[in-house]
Amino acid sequence: MLKIIIPTIMLMPLTWLSKKNMIWINTTTYSLLISLISLSLLNQPSNNSLNFSLMFFSDPLSAPLLVLTTWLLPLMLMASQHHLSKEPLIRKKLYITMLTMLQTFLIMTFTATELISFYILFEATLVPTLIIITRWGNQTERLNAGLYFLFYTLMGSLPLLVALISIQNLTGSLNFLLIQYWNQALPDSWSNIFLWLACMMAFMVKMPLYGLHLWLPKAHVEAPIAGSMVLAAILLKLGGYGMLRITTMLNPQTSFMAYPFLMLSLWGMIMTSSICLRQTDLKSLIAYSSVSHMALVIVAVLIQTPWSYMGATALMIAHGLTSSMLFCLANSNYERTHSRTMILARGLQTLLPLMAAWWLLASLTNLALPPSINLIGELFVVMSSFSWSNITIILMGANITITALYSLYMLITTQRGKYTHHVNSIKPSFTRENALMALHMTPLLLLSLNPKIILGFTY
Amino acid sequence: MNPLIFTTILMTVLLGTMIVMMSSHWLMIWIGFEMNLLAIIPILMKKYNPRTMEASTKYFLTQATASMLLMMAIIINLMHSGQWTITKVFNPTASIIMTSALAMKLGLTPFHFWVPEVTQGISLTSGLILLTWQKLAPMSILYQISPSINLNILLTMAVLSILVGGWGGLNQTQLRKIMAYSSIAHMGWMTAVLVYSPTLTMLNMLIYIMMTLTMFMLFIQSSSTTTLSLSHTWNKTPLTTTLILITLLSMGGLPPLSGFMPKWMIIQELTKNSSIILPTLMAIMALLNLYFYMRLTYSTSLTMFPSTNNMKMKWQFETKQITLLPPLIVMSSLLLPLTPMLSILD
Repeated sequence: MLKIIIPTIMLMPLTWLSKKNMIWINTTTYSLLISLISLSLLNQPSNNSLNFSLMFFSDPLSAPLLVLTTWLLPLMLMASQHHLSKEPLIRKKLYITMLTMLQTFLIMTFTATELISFYILFEATLVPTLIIITRWGNQTERLNAGLYFLFYTLMGSLPLLVALISIQNLTGSLNFLLIQYWNQALPDSWSNIFLWLACMMAFMVKMPLYGLHLWLPKAHVEAPIAGSMVLAAILLKLGGYGMLRITTMLNPQTSFMAYPFLMLSLWGMIMTSSICLRQTDLKSLIAYSSVSHMALVIVAVLIQTPWSYMGATALMIAHGLTSSMLFCLANSNYERTHSRTMILARGLQTLLPLMAAWWLLASLTNLALPPSINLIGELFVVMSSFSWSNITIILMGANITITALYSLYMLITTQRGKYTHHVNSIKPSFTRENALMALHMTPLLLLSLNPKIILGFTY
Repeated sequence: MNPLIFTTILMTVLLGTMIVMMSSHWLMIWIGFEMNLLAIIPILMKKYNPRTMEASTKYFLTQATASMLLMMAIIINLMHSGQWTITKVFNPTASIIMTSALAMKLGLTPFHFWVPEVTQGISLTSGLILLTWQKLAPMSILYQISPSINLNILLTMAVLSILVGGWGGLNQTQLRKIMAYSSIAHMGWMTAVLVYSPTLTMLNMLIYIMMTLTMFMLFIQSSSTTTLSLSHTWNKTPLTTTLILITLLSMGGLPPLSGFMPKWMIIQELTKNSSIILPTLMAIMALLNLYFYMRLTYSTSLTMFPSTNNMKMKWQFETKQITLLPPLIVMSSLLLPLTPMLSILD
């Protein structure tokens, strides 16, 4: 695992020592090379994990997330080139350093064995993200967004620290590999109920759960493009990953403790999807759609069946790629019109037809069109929740319909119809932007040919 | 001040603290405290104006009261045990009085009222000495009498201090008051774990002193005492803004910076002793502290604070050279991976 971590750390000296005209080239190339190294981890021979050392391991759940993380860094760097082009060199280097630091922490988080180490790195990802959002965001609301982001996450995760330490006192070790083997049922008591809550709330806030999702629209909207991409694609999945890891230790309370959260998620996914239909702000629409998709993942993780775990993992990867692509597309609009209002730049198909093709593909994958992996994820979640309780099919079906509605609404508003008269002088699409969209879409489409690598450890 | 006299007075302060830390006779400890107090008054009054006089007077009165209470506790201890050696305190009354006296010296709630006012009235360097060096002596006494301290009183004072330190700092824009409230909160953390594991108190003290030293040095370098003047540092020394950001986040206890280490260790020690609600509460209240540190970072490093136009083109003729700043900054932010080395403190 050091073969990925050390090169990523070394990207920082690379940034600071590069010449002015080479920084983007150097960093993008080397981060692409690093992502190639991580692809080798996808070869998971058995259900057991690949253990590289006492501190790092990779298993069929964390390997796809790791590949997604390393894949996303070059994409983030490509996406940020335009809005940073006018900044002085040192600030560009600082921005890339923040992204690289975040990347290092994320890689270490996804491969950590010891749960306290996971916790420290989980919290450590907050600092670079906060700096990216508040320093390089564009509106004054970004300060509030940073505060909400930081404090919501910290309030949820401090009880997690206490819970992890008390579990360590109880069982002697928090090394995840060991816990799988000597896992015992938690006795039934009030304090174990609070332990369950303490463990899960951090990840619920991160996912986010419907009632605690207030930070997400703020943070996603105010962040610059790389910040939005990494937030939507990876940081939300940290919550899902954490929940998947920690629920192995929390039986049997999950059977009754999960009900309130299941209700909140089932209701919340419909509510947030419906809000998407009434959004005027493009990035806000994509942010609420993230909440809705993640609510599906929460439902899947809390039901705890093999199929639902497969669905959760597939949905996390698929949503990561789709959401990040949608944010890139929204950013390409923002860079041209400097406004996030949807109706301000409409009818773009006439002006930028290739970009319209990417919009179409992104919207189709967002609404989970077969045979994309989004469909595989959603289908598995819907089927397993149906087997858990027949009534949920109504809510799930309603959610799928409303998702289709707002995805098509977004597509049609931005692409179809007559273009507004003030956009006929926008710059045509850069090759960089088209490359960005292609690099998002190609893994998504190729994975539909072999989805078993993203189906997680219950395949 | 005449350098010779200043050196003598400074050495007296050092000597006073050393006497406190190294004595085994209660009377010598009291003498050490008094020496410390008397010698630090001229240092607090380096600039001679009514504000400093008021601050020094307040400091003198509270510390003298605390010393007298300490003397009373020593005498009661003498009465009940017949000897002056500092081993443990033999009478619960003496223990409570001694704990209150030391809390008054440290600035724990409910005796915290002097800390913001005194810190605000004195210069930055004197404030630095006040908030770091002066905490060493009372803390060393608390360390030595820790087996016989009444747990209820100490924990109450600790939790209330964390609360007051967090809430009190919320409305402040003066940097010295912010540092004072931060000191109150950190003292709360230190005393909370005193009965369970005094080693962690010392660790927290060490890291707190490093971070406070760093913060004060960064303030001294830009000669700023208010949030507004701190917000001009992007113009004078832009690197300082990054360093302020890192140090403030470290003080707030964010991983992966070294300020997280004492909090983590303290939470671990408290949880091992089966108190679970207490560390959760303490950790959540530390978030209040983080809020006003974040506000400082917002105005300093993460935004370009609104300022008048001639502030943006400031000339600075002489740059102050602060010794030891780089190692301090490194130590106050990057020590977390060295946590297993805690065993050297035992």
